Amino acid sequence: MIKHHPNEQLLAQYSSGELAFSLSIAISAHLEMCPQCQQKEQRIVAQQAEQAWDADNVEEANFDDMLQCILATPIEAPKTKTLHKKKANNSVSLEGKTYTLPTAFRSFEQLKWSGFGTINRARVINDEQDVRASLLHIKQGGEIPAHQHKGYELTLLLAGSFSDEHGTYQKGDFILLSGDVKHSPKTEQGCLCYTVQDAPLHFMSGMSKVLNPLGKFIY
Amino acid sequence: MIILKHVTTDNRLNKLNTISENDENDSIQKALCDVANHQDKKAFEILFKHFSPKIRAFGLQRFRQEAQALELVQETMLLVWRKATLFNAEKGKATTWIYTIMRNHCFDMLRKKMTQKEDQVSDDLWPMLEDEEVIEEDHLLSRNLIAHINSLPKPQRDVVEALYIKELSQPEVASLLKIPLGTVKSRLRLALSKLKTTLEVDHD
Repeated sequence: MIKHHPNEQLLAQYSSGELAFSLSIAISAHLEMCPQCQQKEQRIVAQQAEQAWDADNVEEANFDDMLQCILATPIEAPKTKTLHKKKANNSVSLEGKTYTLPTAFRSFEQLKWSGFGTINRARVINDEQDVRASLLHIKQGGEIPAHQHKGYELTLLLAGSFSDEHGTYQKGDFILLSGDVKHSPKTEQGCLCYTVQDAPLHFMSGMSKVLNPLGKFIY
Repeated sequence: MIILKHVTTDNRLNKLNTISENDENDSIQKALCDVANHQDKKAFEILFKHFSPKIRAFGLQRFRQEAQALELVQETMLLVWRKATLFNAEKGKATTWIYTIMRNHCFDMLRKKMTQKEDQVSDDLWPMLEDEEVIEEDHLLSRNLIAHINSLPKPQRDVVEALYIKELSQPEVASLLKIPLGTVKSRLRLALSKLKTTLEVDHD
């Protein structure tokens, strides 16, 4: 049962296409796992469509050349099925387990995983300024030292479960933490997450200060 | 008295407006189905004349550039023309479908502007221009399902036979059986899930 969901505002930004790619991936993947939010999003997108088409002050325009040009293009015959055949989703194998990634991850065919103790990470996006987005796998029994974030940290749980000071999280949970929250996630059975943050993590507790380079490594 | 009269007229006007809005939605829906079912050029012209100025306005808002706004018009309307057969009236309104096509292309254009990347990731975020049935069709066909088709109720059997034995396309089946394309899709879905269950039982 998914307990943590993106709020209405994030859903609206996503469905109007105005959310950065890194966060759009997280919302899209959450929707794939959450029928409840899917319904919400369908309602939002229908409203947005109405607003867009009702806009005032639309200048009349005549694009006859364009119209003729489009009509001269052959329509896609439904028989040529390969053209819109559903592409298969990517899967990853880590620590002896295979996971199928949500559709939003289809464009990442060659993920480069690197490991550090119980943690494996693959960078997903690095072309958005200051934003880091990764897939993170924590082996069973693994944990991440207590840390705080400079900016927000988003975690979408794709498989398995983990818990921290604030609760236990299940597959599909969309957890958005603001910069002032401190936590130390642990996982008993292991988990695969998608994480996005706008700044590298800060490790805080005594011992793990030594591990500070890990902050740059994980995220 | 005069004031009262005005109010009545206004109310009537308001009513008229709502009615014409519904009519407009219906005629857009019908035009899109005609494009899907018969590649109807006149119907596409109606859609094109209705939406292209609105898409341009939307594009200008997002890109603040005429050239990109026009690219958005061209690409959105081209997709509407080429992919109309994938519109499913049961899943939502025609106006929403066209909006999402525009939104998707807009997302890819903005991303290209920011990162110089040409990949069309919007298809992965909002996988709407794909036929979900396709995989099931191929998968089921490979298991010699023809033997089971006769057990289906007649309306479903007709659709399945026209698609697989006569090898017609979905819009062709729609016009052959004189039913909407959405009904073809829903009957097919029902038939496939029934066949799937039958096959699974057989395997057990």
